[in-house]
Amino acid sequence: MTVDVSTIYLLDVATGESVEAELRDAIEQAQLDDWQTKWQPALLAVLQDLARKGVPMLQWPQSWHWNWAQKTARVQGLLAFRGFSVVARGETQGLAQVDLTKASREPSQVGKPLVYLDYLEVAPWNRPEFGAAPRLRGVGSALITAAASLSLDEGFKGRLGLHSLPQADAFYRKIGMTDLGQDPAYQNLRYFEMTVEQARAFLEEE
Amino acid sequence: MKLERSKEWWIARARREGDAVIGAGLLAFDPAVDERPSGAQSAVVEETRIAFGKFVNLMRRHRGYSMEQLAQAADLDASELLVIEDDVHYVPEPRTVFKLAETFDVSQRRLMQLAGLTAANDAGLRQEAVRFAARSEAVQKLTPEESSALEAFVVVLSEQEPKRVK
Repeated sequence: MTVDVSTIYLLDVATGESVEAELRDAIEQAQLDDWQTKWQPALLAVLQDLARKGVPMLQWPQSWHWNWAQKTARVQGLLAFRGFSVVARGETQGLAQVDLTKASREPSQVGKPLVYLDYLEVAPWNRPEFGAAPRLRGVGSALITAAASLSLDEGFKGRLGLHSLPQADAFYRKIGMTDLGQDPAYQNLRYFEMTVEQARAFLEEE
Repeated sequence: MKLERSKEWWIARARREGDAVIGAGLLAFDPAVDERPSGAQSAVVEETRIAFGKFVNLMRRHRGYSMEQLAQAADLDASELLVIEDDVHYVPEPRTVFKLAETFDVSQRRLMQLAGLTAANDAGLRQEAVRFAARSEAVQKLTPEESSALEAFVVVLSEQEPKRVK
C-alpha cells in the first residue's frame, strides 16, 4: 500500500509560528509505536497527576472504563483499517480511523453513504483540556478536513458522521455540523453529521 | 489522497480551532486510572519484558533448541526458561540474563534493559522492543516475517557496543 503524504501547517502555540507537518492517509506501525511509547506515558503522567491532586474522576477530561491493556489492544488493531495520521517534528501528533460502510441519519440525507469517523485522538501534549498549554494547534481540524475530503473523493459529497467526546461537542457545533442528539446505542455520546452544504462551507477555499 | 491547500488556509483553520477539545469515538476516551495507578506504569515497563520473553523464545527456536537443550547450552534451569518465555511478570536473575546474552551473542547491557533489570533510559530500544513484540507470534516454526523481525532486533541489541575481542 502506498501512502499519500500531503504537506499541511500547524500552529506552534508557544511561539505563534507555523510548523510544517505531514498528513498521511494511513496509520502505520510507526504511529502505533509513538502511541505506545510516547502518548501513553504522557497521558499516564497527566492522569496520575489528576489522581494525586484528588480531582474526582467525574471532573476528569474524558475518562472511560478502559484499562491500558484493552485500549492498547484496540489501538494496535487500527493498523487494519483506513486511517489518517498527522506527523510533525518526527512524532505522531494525531490519529483518525474512518469507516466507509455507514449511512447518513440526518433527515435531508438519510440513508446516503457517508464517511463515519470511528476514532479521532490528538496527542496528549496537544490537548488543551489538561490545563497545560498545548504544543501544536490545528491537529484535530486537519484530521476532520482529511475525513471530509475523503468523503468528496469517495463520491459521498462531503457527508461525514461521528460520535463526539463530551468535551468536543462545542467544536463540532462551531464548525457547523448538525447535532442529532445523544445516541443510546453508543454510550449516549452525541452523534454529529456534516451535510453536503456544511462540508462545502467547511472545506471552502479562502 | 492528496490535499492541496495553502499554508494560510491551514493556519487559519488552526487559529479557528483555538483551545477547542477535539476527539471522536469510544476508543478516543482516556483509560480510567484504577485504584492501583502504578499498575499502568508497570504495564509500560512490562512491554519490554514481553519483548524479552519473545526474544528468548524466537532465538531458541531459531537455533533449533528445545528448552532443555537451551538450558544445557546456557547452563540454566529449564524451568526458569519456561517462565521467562511465558510470564511477563517474572523478573529473571541477572546471571540468567548474562548467560542468555552470552549464548545468543548479543549485548548484555541491552538485554538487561529488556529484561527490566536495569532502567532502560533508552526510548529507542523500548520502541524497537514494542515493534518486535508486535511482529512476532509464538508458533511452532519461525515464519519468514518472524525471522526477519528477529534478525532486525538482533542488530538493535548488538549495536553501540564496544567491540569484543574474542
